[in-house]
Amino acid sequence: MHNVWLIARREYLERVRTRSFMIMTVLTPVLMAGLMIGPGVLAERMSHHARHMVVVASDQQTGEIIKTQLLHADQQSRDNAEEAQKSSIKRSQAAASELTVDIDTDTSAGHRADLVQKLRSKELDGVVWASNAALQARKVPFITRNTSSFIANDEIQTSLNQSMTRRALQARGLSDQEIQNIFQPVKLDVQDASGNGAVNPQIVLVTSIVMVMILYMSVLMYGINVMRAVLEEKTSRIMEVMLSVAKAKEMLAGKILGVGAVGLTQIGIWAAVALVYIVPNAVAMRNQLKEVLSPGLLIWFAVFYLLGYALYSTMYAAIGSMVNSEQEAQQLQFVAIIPLIAALAVMVGVAQMPSSPLAIWCSMIPFTSPLIMFMRIAVQTPPLWQIGLSVALLVGTIYVLVLLCAKIYRVGILMYGKRPTLPEMVKWLKYA
Amino acid sequence: MHTIEISQVRKTFDEFVAVDDLTFNIAQGSVFGLLGPNGAGKTSTIRMMIGITAPDSGEIRVFGNPFDRKCLPKIGYLPEERGLYKKMKVLDQLVFLGELHGMNAAVARKKATDWCERLEIAEKLDKKVEELSKGMQQKIQFIASLLHDPEFIIMDEPFFGLDPVNTTLLKDVMLDLKKNGRTILFSTHRMDQVEKLCDSICLINRGRSVLQGPLKQVKAQYGKSNVQIEYEGSGEFLQKGELVGSYNNYGNYVEVRLAPGADAQQLLQIAAQRSRISKFEVVEPSLEEIFIEVVGKNDA
Repeated sequence: MHNVWLIARREYLERVRTRSFMIMTVLTPVLMAGLMIGPGVLAERMSHHARHMVVVASDQQTGEIIKTQLLHADQQSRDNAEEAQKSSIKRSQAAASELTVDIDTDTSAGHRADLVQKLRSKELDGVVWASNAALQARKVPFITRNTSSFIANDEIQTSLNQSMTRRALQARGLSDQEIQNIFQPVKLDVQDASGNGAVNPQIVLVTSIVMVMILYMSVLMYGINVMRAVLEEKTSRIMEVMLSVAKAKEMLAGKILGVGAVGLTQIGIWAAVALVYIVPNAVAMRNQLKEVLSPGLLIWFAVFYLLGYALYSTMYAAIGSMVNSEQEAQQLQFVAIIPLIAALAVMVGVAQMPSSPLAIWCSMIPFTSPLIMFMRIAVQTPPLWQIGLSVALLVGTIYVLVLLCAKIYRVGILMYGKRPTLPEMVKWLKYA
Repeated sequence: MHTIEISQVRKTFDEFVAVDDLTFNIAQGSVFGLLGPNGAGKTSTIRMMIGITAPDSGEIRVFGNPFDRKCLPKIGYLPEERGLYKKMKVLDQLVFLGELHGMNAAVARKKATDWCERLEIAEKLDKKVEELSKGMQQKIQFIASLLHDPEFIIMDEPFFGLDPVNTTLLKDVMLDLKKNGRTILFSTHRMDQVEKLCDSICLINRGRSVLQGPLKQVKAQYGKSNVQIEYEGSGEFLQKGELVGSYNNYGNYVEVRLAPGADAQQLLQIAAQRSRISKFEVVEPSLEEIFIEVVGKNDA
């Protein structure tokens, strides 16, 4: 046991001290933050000039109605964007700049040509041609430089529709207050059976996908690190010195524990950084994140990281002991990656339908279960017996794999030269 | 008292017999040479002594008891396949290996520093192993096998790749160890290097012992039947026949193994007639010659 500790400690310290560990640890959060903040900043920059629109109507009153409606819609969309900034993990929806709307009652073709000219010279950003003729034809031209951007086109369309309704209601003699009440929007209040308010499903989805991705990356990266470590000892021929004092099993265990601890350290640092980043950025988001990132879920994350890592790193250690070079290792390591990739492929489907047969099967099969069972737990807690069965199957598989891989490892680390064939490996398993 | 007792040990890998019915003892405090050509089974034998592999049959006793992993901290091993953690600093590496052998970290640090000073590489303590030359790495490995002050030291090809200065340095260290009562096992196919160091030898070929015993006794068996000659001129006196059994000619220097029953004086006369002789000495055969003869006979 003392040897296992010494070997694990060496592995841990040597790895944590490397430059690549520090770079990875620092760079990953920076990149992630960049991906989250970058688009928002860009969008903000691009929409940061005042916008100027002209509404052309046959009479002043219609023009007023459309103007009010446009300004109202714009205000609402800016409020929404602000709200989204608080509640969403992404900051891509930046608040748009101030909107000015002028009313014009000259509906002659010549005036229209003038306005188009102004649009070209960028004095104007958009023209809504709401002449009586156009309104009666129920087809209102909206002339703009960029037909696919500016304010979302459907926002203008909605405004026009509402303006028409408003005008019709006014014509029926309803007071402004009555009309206002008609337009008061209805909000959906989602609850589950026990009356709890729903957590923003977008946050649940994004958070769980991000966590599963981290799980996948960590299991894969540190599994491969174990393989590299074994290979390094093999190619540097230190194996024999080590074996003269430590058992192969102790070396295997020390290596897996040491590298696994490095992984936990890195994930821990990232979690801390994420919290530090989230706190000043969006209080609302943190509150919602708190509901998603419950302590229970974080514990499950650790459980499935450790189990998944144990499973894959054992396999990778065996692979590392069988081969003589990185090139040889790459061919074999691909075989071990396939189940992980399969898990990623079904991940989004599982997130959307966590109780589908596919989700249940994938959360039971030990090679995909670390990712998929965690995904199911994150999205919607499955029945306890299913979690229990999944973990039990996983632990059982790890136990059997450790026994098999330890044997392959013990023989493999002293074998140089040709990569073993399958029958040869079966023979290794039979060695005492 | 024997440090190592190996009796009727056999080890096979699938159909290949690596070690076959091997028996020898190593007396405490002696220097023992395990000699043989490449692939003779030397490393397989050593690996069984330290429990990396187990014999198929036969018994190995270490320090008087059947092999037990608990005695490993009392054994130092310098394997033929040299290896260190390349990215690790020299001192960290030595301390780590010392701790694995049951040493306290502080003691290991102190001893590692002392050893590096003695072997003239103290200034490299803070360097990574990969920054060192091959010879220096060799010395580090040498220190690693001695750091925990083992009672029994196994050295597989200890001088391989070392220059004469460093060879002498290490040889002196080993003589010191012997003086302090340590038991040393040399495994090598370079006979000339161990000839002066070993008390007894075991020569193995194809996994079997072909010749063993105290070095003096082994040599006496072969008698003073060799002649070393330094000459100038023609070497045509070297003709296999009644006098010359075989010879190894280096141009101006030749080692002659006399034919059975031949008289060295006759050879001197013939040689002196044909060339200028500057040295003529009758000696015991070197271990290398015995080795070549025994192994050659064995393989024939």
